[in-house]
Amino acid sequence: MKRERKCFWYFTMFIFLVSGLGLGLSGEEDTFALKGALVHPVTSASIEGATILVKKGKIVALGKDISLPEGIRVVDVRGKEIIPGLVDPHSHIGVFAANDANELPQPIGPENRALDALHLDLPDWMEAVKGGVTTVVTGPGSGERMGGQSVTIKTFGKDLEKRILKESGELKMAVNGVNLSHIPTIQANFLKAREYLKKWERYEAEADKASPPERDLSLEALAKVLKGEEVLRVHVIWANDIISFLKMKDEFGFELQFIHAPEAWKVAEEIAKRKVGVICMPIILSINLPEDLLKGIVTLQRSGVKIAMHSDYPVAPEKWFRLNASLAIRYGLEKEEALKAITINPAEMAKVDTRVGSIEVGKDADLVVLNGPWYEISSTVEKVFVDGILAYDSLREEER
Amino acid sequence: MKNFRRTKLVFNSFLPLSLTLVFFIFCLGREGDRETQLLAIKGGTILTMAGERIEEGVVLIKGKKILAVGKEVEIPEEAAIFDAQGKHVLPGIIDSMTYYGIRPFDLNDMENPVTPENRIIFAYYPFGEFMRGKEGINRDREILSGGVTSVYIAPGDRQVIGGQGAVVKTWAESYDELILREPAALDMTIGDTAKYEMKREAKTPVTRMGISTLIRTNLLQAQEYLRKKKEAEEKEGEEKEKSPLFPRDPRMEALAALLNQEIPARIEADFADDIRTALRIADEFGFKLIIDSGLGAYKLKETLAEKGIPVVLGPPTHPFVQGGEVSMTRELYREMNEYNASELIKAGVLTSLASFGFGFGRFGYATQGRWLLIEAAYLAGFGVPDEEVLKMITINAAQILGVDDRVGSIEAGKDADLIILDGYPLDIKTWVDEVFIDGVNVYSRKGGRK
Amino acid sequence: MKKTRKLEDKEKKKGTLKGIAILFVVATFVPSLLEPGESLLAIKGGKILTMAGRVYEDGSLIIKKGKIWKVGKAISIPKGARIVDAQGKYVMPGIIDSMCYFGVRPFSLNSSEPVTPENRIVDAYYVFGELMRGPGGIQAEEELLCGGVTTVYIAPGSAQLIGGQGAVLKTFGRDYESLILRESASIDMTLAYAPLAESGMPSSNPPSRMSSMALLRKSLLEAQDYLKKIEEYEKMSEDEKKKSQKPSRDLGKEALASLLERKIPARIEADFVDDILAAIRLADEFKLDLVIDSGIGAYKVREILAKKKIPVVLGPPSHPIDYVSHLNNLIELQQLESERNASLLLDAGVKISISSQAKDFGGSGKATQGRWLLLEAALATGFGLSEEEALKAVTINAAQILGVADRVGSLEPGKDADVVILDGHPLRVETHVEKVFIDGCLSYEREKEE
Repeated sequence: MKRERKCFWYFTMFIFLVSGLGLGLSGEEDTFALKGALVHPVTSASIEGATILVKKGKIVALGKDISLPEGIRVVDVRGKEIIPGLVDPHSHIGVFAANDANELPQPIGPENRALDALHLDLPDWMEAVKGGVTTVVTGPGSGERMGGQSVTIKTFGKDLEKRILKESGELKMAVNGVNLSHIPTIQANFLKAREYLKKWERYEAEADKASPPERDLSLEALAKVLKGEEVLRVHVIWANDIISFLKMKDEFGFELQFIHAPEAWKVAEEIAKRKVGVICMPIILSINLPEDLLKGIVTLQRSGVKIAMHSDYPVAPEKWFRLNASLAIRYGLEKEEALKAITINPAEMAKVDTRVGSIEVGKDADLVVLNGPWYEISSTVEKVFVDGILAYDSLREEER
Repeated sequence: MKNFRRTKLVFNSFLPLSLTLVFFIFCLGREGDRETQLLAIKGGTILTMAGERIEEGVVLIKGKKILAVGKEVEIPEEAAIFDAQGKHVLPGIIDSMTYYGIRPFDLNDMENPVTPENRIIFAYYPFGEFMRGKEGINRDREILSGGVTSVYIAPGDRQVIGGQGAVVKTWAESYDELILREPAALDMTIGDTAKYEMKREAKTPVTRMGISTLIRTNLLQAQEYLRKKKEAEEKEGEEKEKSPLFPRDPRMEALAALLNQEIPARIEADFADDIRTALRIADEFGFKLIIDSGLGAYKLKETLAEKGIPVVLGPPTHPFVQGGEVSMTRELYREMNEYNASELIKAGVLTSLASFGFGFGRFGYATQGRWLLIEAAYLAGFGVPDEEVLKMITINAAQILGVDDRVGSIEAGKDADLIILDGYPLDIKTWVDEVFIDGVNVYSRKGGRK
Repeated sequence: MKKTRKLEDKEKKKGTLKGIAILFVVATFVPSLLEPGESLLAIKGGKILTMAGRVYEDGSLIIKKGKIWKVGKAISIPKGARIVDAQGKYVMPGIIDSMCYFGVRPFSLNSSEPVTPENRIVDAYYVFGELMRGPGGIQAEEELLCGGVTTVYIAPGSAQLIGGQGAVLKTFGRDYESLILRESASIDMTLAYAPLAESGMPSSNPPSRMSSMALLRKSLLEAQDYLKKIEEYEKMSEDEKKKSQKPSRDLGKEALASLLERKIPARIEADFVDDILAAIRLADEFKLDLVIDSGIGAYKVREILAKKKIPVVLGPPSHPIDYVSHLNNLIELQQLESERNASLLLDAGVKISISSQAKDFGGSGKATQGRWLLLEAALATGFGLSEEEALKAVTINAAQILGVADRVGSLEPGKDADVVILDGHPLRVETHVEKVFIDGCLSYEREKEE
């Protein structure tokens, strides 16, 4: 009996081992090759009939004639177009419950983290995936002066820790042209932060560290911006407020990005001079922006300003994020620039371009397969890969 | 450690500095053409506001500046010619008190009666219609139709100390070129408008005494601040290193600029008593003073003349607009005198005429400055000679605002801000035909294209 | 005798000749007396999508007196016709937006009571440009015309149970009268619970579906009674009439009476299946013609809709849910919506149109989202709609649902000359509208790129 039980035990283990290996050998989910599509890598020229080789969720090869390892799973995408997974640099997806479309001005201090408030079970994430959006920077609503910390996260993935690309990295401010004392207050705070830094530098320099200066969390947040550790992202509406912040950048030298900035095109040259990036208003169809503004986005880009689109979800749907680029093309933007505005530009502005934003060897296999020209409104998304995993397949109506 | 920090500091400022220099040179290079463009406005009657009236004269413009003006001016071959035959040529009109370009919600900080750190320049919005229009500074046809080329803007009169005003142009090629002088003055109000809002909240100031105390207390604090700052700066070497950092306070810095006579105070005061209060405080703290509105200024004309205090008068056809709750309206009517301007001028007080324009209701574009010539014409009927009244909206305004090195008269070296009228300037039927700012024809009455 | 007859004949001939001569003169000169829009216009050389089944490659379209006279492939161009070259372009009927709030300012959208059938949206149609500014007359709204929209259906907002009478109007015309296609086109109702009016104020809708339905039925019953009373009064003899009271006119009941008499349909905004079924129940009970508006969940009851021949005016596929009105039901609506709504309905035999449901959002103030209807139609082609069906959904189908297909919606002889010329296939994102004709008048022309 003992021997039989041992045999049975060994046999069972052997089965488990083999099936385990089998699973591994028969092709991991995130290892495969896409063959035959028109691929737009964004940071290099588009390739007809290309092959993309993905191994363990990373892109390991891209080109026209690539030799494929034996036994690799091949996905036929002839006649399709492939673009990188889209990057949305400013959204509120998953932070508010879906039935609260309003942004409540929260008294959030810079020390609060969006990470702690994420709802991962909402159907909203799948909507983003369907739209080809694979990376979002999401966080709470913008308070009047300083907002909470955001998180840069993939829209799909079983393991939350793996989905997170980055925590924070920015300080948010909002100015809406109301109240004359806004700008002087912000300036005064930056001056205080500068002096706070000096105080601490002096303290660090002292041999005898008897009494450290009092800690001030909000000044620390500003100090990080002054030191260049964080980007200052300003939600701005009126053109003259843009000028005010550009001058503040001249004075304090921090890295600056504008969000929304519907009038940025009116002062395009001033912005271009300081090499400040602009995350433009969502120009998607649901928001009725004037024709001048839509044309203005093209003016902005042509003046040399790096532009990115965003959804500010739920203000504009993540599902149609791609159409921001389509509309920009309609109003005169070059196709390559429009594609950059929803891929590599936002990735660079969110400082995650080492991982996402283009189809390059070494980057994450975040890929969107469409059944027609990527910018045409009539084209639809057929497949979306996030970290090499098939997150969405239009042929299978059921979602994962 | 010390050396490293210094190096770091130098390096940190050197790099951006040198880059700026390179960029500056690059810009200059680009601007080359613009700087040398020649334009001659010839044939018109030129009222220079610098003493001369030139019949059939020539104004020669090079780039943004006036090169020469006179009867016999040699016009280079390559110059473009603008025919002003039969027309009058004047310097661009200067509105020395208005809220043009300031949206109504930006006028005053209603929470706080004293905000010297606020600077109106952050609220100047010369970009036309919200989210519509073209790139760059907007050419506002409403204000330009009245020939207004420069304005003094400041926070509104609902605060005791509203903040720092600015002198800006109504158009320029770039945002920076719009600014003639900033900060140009510290804006204050001694009168009922500065207190009526606060009455609802029983917050100071509720009375004139409160207003005066607020101003004086803040100025005393500023004096103390200056003293401490001087002390901190005079420390040297180790003592400096060891002592606590002197915290810079923008609020105090603004008041200090006033005390150091870097900028004057613009105090809006109508009753003679309020003007007296202003004079008293100015004497106590030793700052330069300009009276705004000054409906009762004629009662103190000798004192004002003696102390060299200028007065910026409001439009004679509608001297003031007070909010509903202001109780002293009737008394103010009694204070008024149609010959205010003429008495002040005869006594030797430097005066200008301003629109005090503000956005009304939803129609919001404070462009009342466009009627300054008509207001001036009205004033000419009440004892002010024509030449004087025209000076009140040009060179006098420029002098009071401290920008007469740049604008206010047609003289060589000044900015090419000019207007061409189709008749005598003080004739009701006269229209402004053309407006030039920095030598660019920004407005043409016929035509209407930007 | 013969001589006399000959003479008579000669006289007759002379008379006839004179008549012919006069006729000839008149015929030559009358055309030049016709107004510009009414003279002959020939659009030739383009690819004509008639929306009436025929597509003409390299076709021609002749317009006469504001109406389409001829359309086809090999048509001779009449003499004297002004020629518009459409070589290489696409020609199609003007786009029709079958639900929007264009030209209605937000404060005019709703009243504060739940049932106001007497209100007519046509009274709020404002197409005169900017308040207090601009030249006189009807102003062409370029932001809407650049999308080729020539006809709109507008109605009171969704914050009322019965908002009033919607209207079908043109987006531009020579005079106000020419704008009106159908002054009272339907009775607009809302079952989709809208807690907030477009202005952000709480709506007056009853809080539950039961009370909404009860109120609707009550209103209709009262209207039925009103009709009966009038019928009875009319049937009376002259003597009886003198003795009895004539029923006083009630505008609201009269409006509902047109509904009961099937002169106009009920346009009911309903998204959830229960609301759609409730609307159908109501229509059955009172024998009304019904049109479902928005119908996010309509695909779920498509068989019933097809059987009862109830058309659906869908919202824009890129954003069918109106966030402001549906704050409380957002999750349910998000789960209900389907990109295949349009194609499922069509396949089942339901007539559909695609509308913009344009409201003002974000302060741009003009509710001109209709300009993107072709892009919305293009989006729908990605989800089961053929290109032809997509184009019909914004032209002829819309016209039929609105009851104006005798005038607009397709390029056929006898219909209004509302024609759009595009520089490419209408459903491509880079295609732009180049010219728009309304009643044969050029109402919009795209500016050439610099």
